[in-house]
Amino acid sequence: MSNIAGKAYAMNVVTPMKWYSVWFNKIIFWGVQLPMFTGFLKGLVTLSLIHYARWAIVSPRQFPRLDISQPQEDLKYHYMFFFSNFNGSWDQYVDSFNAAIPDGLNLFWHRNIKYPGSVPLQPFHSYITYNQVWTNHYYSAYPLASSNDVKSAKKVKDGLIAFADTSKDLPADDFLKNYNRLLVSLQNDLSQMEPTPIVSLSSEAVVNRRIERMRAG
Amino acid sequence: MSKRASAQGLTALTPIKNGVLDGYSYSTHTLKYLQEMPLNEHSLMAKVPNTYFSRFYVLNDVFYQGSPADEEHLKSKYLVFTSNFYGDLDDYLTAMWRSTNGEVRDIWQHCVAFDKVNDAGGFSRYLQQCKVRNQLFFVGANNEPLAEQLKALYLKQAFSRFVFEHQALASQGAAGAAKLQQAFREFIKTTEPANLEKPTWVAGACSEVVNDAVPVGSVADAVGRSSAKSGAGTKPQATKPGLDKAV
Repeated sequence: MSNIAGKAYAMNVVTPMKWYSVWFNKIIFWGVQLPMFTGFLKGLVTLSLIHYARWAIVSPRQFPRLDISQPQEDLKYHYMFFFSNFNGSWDQYVDSFNAAIPDGLNLFWHRNIKYPGSVPLQPFHSYITYNQVWTNHYYSAYPLASSNDVKSAKKVKDGLIAFADTSKDLPADDFLKNYNRLLVSLQNDLSQMEPTPIVSLSSEAVVNRRIERMRAG
Repeated sequence: MSKRASAQGLTALTPIKNGVLDGYSYSTHTLKYLQEMPLNEHSLMAKVPNTYFSRFYVLNDVFYQGSPADEEHLKSKYLVFTSNFYGDLDDYLTAMWRSTNGEVRDIWQHCVAFDKVNDAGGFSRYLQQCKVRNQLFFVGANNEPLAEQLKALYLKQAFSRFVFEHQALASQGAAGAAKLQQAFREFIKTTEPANLEKPTWVAGACSEVVNDAVPVGSVADAVGRSSAKSGAGTKPQATKPGLDKAV
């Protein structure tokens, strides 16, 4: 089991909240998606670590009950489920989240039981660690790529297709000038993606065995 | 489930049967199956079209926060499944069943009422019954179909390499410009930027696997590329036999 798939890390957090706080959190989550408040999420966008993240609030009755043989949950609290797919280490992510949207964290986890607040950092770290659930199977379609790689790749593809179209009949000198312009426009997007620091322990082991076999014969 | 443009987020909690089978609880069987599932490009989820990220975990219980909070416990364990994907939910779940030839049955086999699921439609209805609403679904990357993303990543890698390997030509006057242009034409012909099907990255691959070719960045490719003249993204022949297999 692993929380890691290549460069992506899966974080799962489950935290209880009192029923009378839920409406406030739901309004917050709804509100930040309105056009006038999207700037609130700007911190998350700026972070650039995150592929996808979500928050779900589940009431006691919303835990699925699919058959009468299954006992009905008898819970006092609602539960907030948080899932994130991000790049970097756990510490980098939690610290960055804390630095980018400290007020946002306090709003999103408002009135969750025993939530210590985003500042100072250590109690927040402890809270997340305590309420984190380990992933048993994690899949990423592009383990070699970070969130920034995915975004920059789109720019490279679009730029390349457009350039290939416009440059095919140019004389060589004009081609070179336009080619250089293309490189300038893509200078922040061109880079080699490598399996660093460690793509996965299992694939590292496979690569090492292949190298050993190659050396042996 | 929340929609945000075309990237979607599914969150599903499926109750696992209480009780034991062959001396182990159903949740333990489920946990064991998940932990032994192949990873990366060999994962079951790699077969499911348009899956960006997905995960499974078994939620054994909720966490007691300490006094004065109340201590409480779940009466069932839950298989939690989340997926970030592109497209319509029903289409996605139907494709999930079909593309895996029903292998997903093995993941959910110990869940309550799953024995009634026998086809793609039933599977989709079952999971939609178990889904919970996302209050907020944040998309930090983009909303492209997976094929677009994989092709773009392949091109980013290939073109970055091309630029590096041909940078000297830009300072060699007219002759260099002509060679660069010719090399670029070959690059475009080889990499086919507008063709999403191939060449492109293989979904889930943790090394750079381009279709069935020798993986770029592998030892075999490094050996082969040392004598290569082309800067295109496809792979030259490996110089040693037996090494031209993807990781």
